Amino acid sequence: MDDLAPPLSGLIGELEKLPTIGPKTAARLAFYILSASREDANALAEAIVAVKDRVRLCSRCFSLTEADPCSICRDVRRDPKTLCVVGEPKDVYAVERSMSFKGRYHVLGGLISPMDGIGVAQLHVKELVERVGTEGIDEVIVATNPNAEGESTALYLARLLAPTGVRVTRLAYGLPIGGDLDYADEVTLARALEGRRAL
Amino acid sequence: MRVLSLELDQFRNYAALRFTPPSGACVFIGDNAQGKSNLLEALALLATGKSFRAAREADLIRDDAPAASVSARVATRHGEIQAACIVARAGEGARKRFFRNGRAVPYGQFLGGVMAVTFIPLDLQLVIGPAGLRRRLLNAGLAQTSRAYYRDLAAYGAVVTQKNALLRASGAPDRDLLLTYNEQMAISGGRIASARAVYVRKLASEATAAHARWVGASPEFDVAYRPSPALAEETPEAIEQALRAALEANQTLEIKRRSALYGPHRDDLALSLGGLPLARFGSQGQQRTAVLALKAAEYASLHAAAGEPPILLLDDVLSELDRERRHAFLSSLGDFDQAFITSTDVPDMPATLRGEVVRVRAGSLAIENAAHA
Ligand SMILES: Nc1ncnc2c1ncn2[C@@H]1O[C@H](COP(=O)(O)OP(=O)(O)O)[C@@H](O)[C@H]1O
Ligand SMILES: [Mg+2]
Ligand SMILES: [Zn+2]
Repeated sequence: MDDLAPPLSGLIGELEKLPTIGPKTAARLAFYILSASREDANALAEAIVAVKDRVRLCSRCFSLTEADPCSICRDVRRDPKTLCVVGEPKDVYAVERSMSFKGRYHVLGGLISPMDGIGVAQLHVKELVERVGTEGIDEVIVATNPNAEGESTALYLARLLAPTGVRVTRLAYGLPIGGDLDYADEVTLARALEGRRAL
Repeated sequence: MRVLSLELDQFRNYAALRFTPPSGACVFIGDNAQGKSNLLEALALLATGKSFRAAREADLIRDDAPAASVSARVATRHGEIQAACIVARAGEGARKRFFRNGRAVPYGQFLGGVMAVTFIPLDLQLVIGPAGLRRRLLNAGLAQTSRAYYRDLAAYGAVVTQKNALLRASGAPDRDLLLTYNEQMAISGGRIASARAVYVRKLASEATAAHARWVGASPEFDVAYRPSPALAEETPEAIEQALRAALEANQTLEIKRRSALYGPHRDDLALSLGGLPLARFGSQGQQRTAVLALKAAEYASLHAAAGEPPILLLDDVLSELDRERRHAFLSSLGDFDQAFITSTDVPDMPATLRGEVVRVRAGSLAIENAAHA
């Protein structure tokens, strides 16, 4: 087929590179953008350039931010003595959405996995230990993923931080809300039982 | 336990197969590369969740299809169940999903529904082959009867892989990380070794008995657990302690050798006849009889654990056995519910085994005749 409008096929090609976007969806999005108002199209283009130009890592907690330090690190209403340690910046958004955490964060930038070439030195672990010392932290809540790497990373941090005397806790595993008890797998159920509490 | 119906879609060389197997023995015959072993591989997938030969799971998917599916209705003593596995291409590899009675379930929960004993030519190396084959024998029996065992084994394996990567990486390994991995190995390893110790005792008594039935009580065939490190006690807590101590004592050595040297991933079985190690002193015939005794013992253990006979999958092994051993082995299994057997031609089997011969030709099946009148 002749390429009648190279800019359009160019846009389709770029959209197709995005995760979960196949050729059909890419075409639908491209035609939508073509028919959208000039302002809307400009806004989208500028938003894309802006994230590349203006989003960086907070020098203190390593989450994504425009201003450094980030708004959470600067927010004086947040508990300065509690740190929540997560693997990736996107995990900060997940915990924030729960609206139940009032402390600050520390993003490791991944989870320990020597088989993937990710050792302790590749992560913001040294910075965590420094923060625990200099910021007078009382409690470190480790909220790494409940998979093998997340588990090892959490245990490693607990061991590493033990000499500082800081309280290190791990997120409790629970049952999914709205799920059936009889269909929960044993691991989830066993962990939920371990983390049970008085009513 | 008995497979009532089997459905394969885009699995290996089967586009869409609907098969109603007979009870008793079902003998798949046909030339090479027609799809006989593929059928047994599909059945084993429903029992263990794994292929007994594919290194790459994507190879299970037919030609360029996006996904393969295996599904079976199985009569068990707890009633009829439906078990299914879908293998879908994902990036370079494949992703498996498991279903029980139409509902997606995690792998750990899928295990234990359909139980099978798989006997493939590789098993004939059980006595003289590497220790990995003997650990595979233990894992096959334990993972199907204990979800906790499977879970520990998976967790343990993941940690050993990471620890080896840490030891192999350039530069001195991070001590705290090494200690973290050691601690994780001690906890899951303690439970694994404890379960193995108990299982090996059951397996050993069955294997010794089967061997004695075939060739007499003397010399006696003996099976013993050889855990790494050597153990004095069998409780998970005691083994955990012993493993922790061994890992601590050998830390420098492991760093020097750049490899995880101690733990259940180094376990073995000691197989002996009249007190002499079979691999070194046994004749070929004695070694083969010992292999059959081990497989008969695996079958008996699973039978006892399930409370009903497991499904038996024999891939190309009957032709490897002489007539006497073949008859002794098959007869010793007693009243099995269902066996799937592959062979290039109709094998000579004990007359007591009723069954059907099914010819396999390029991914399609045709019932030939009754194996025995
Ligand atoms: N993913 C696949 N897609 C299509 N055909 C396959 C696939 N994997 C294996 N086969 C075919 O299956 C046949 C081998 O089947 P197998 O069951 O091992 O044979 P046998 O009858 O000798 O036991 C070969 O013809 C091989 O090409
Ligand atoms: Mg074959
Ligand atoms: Zn910050």
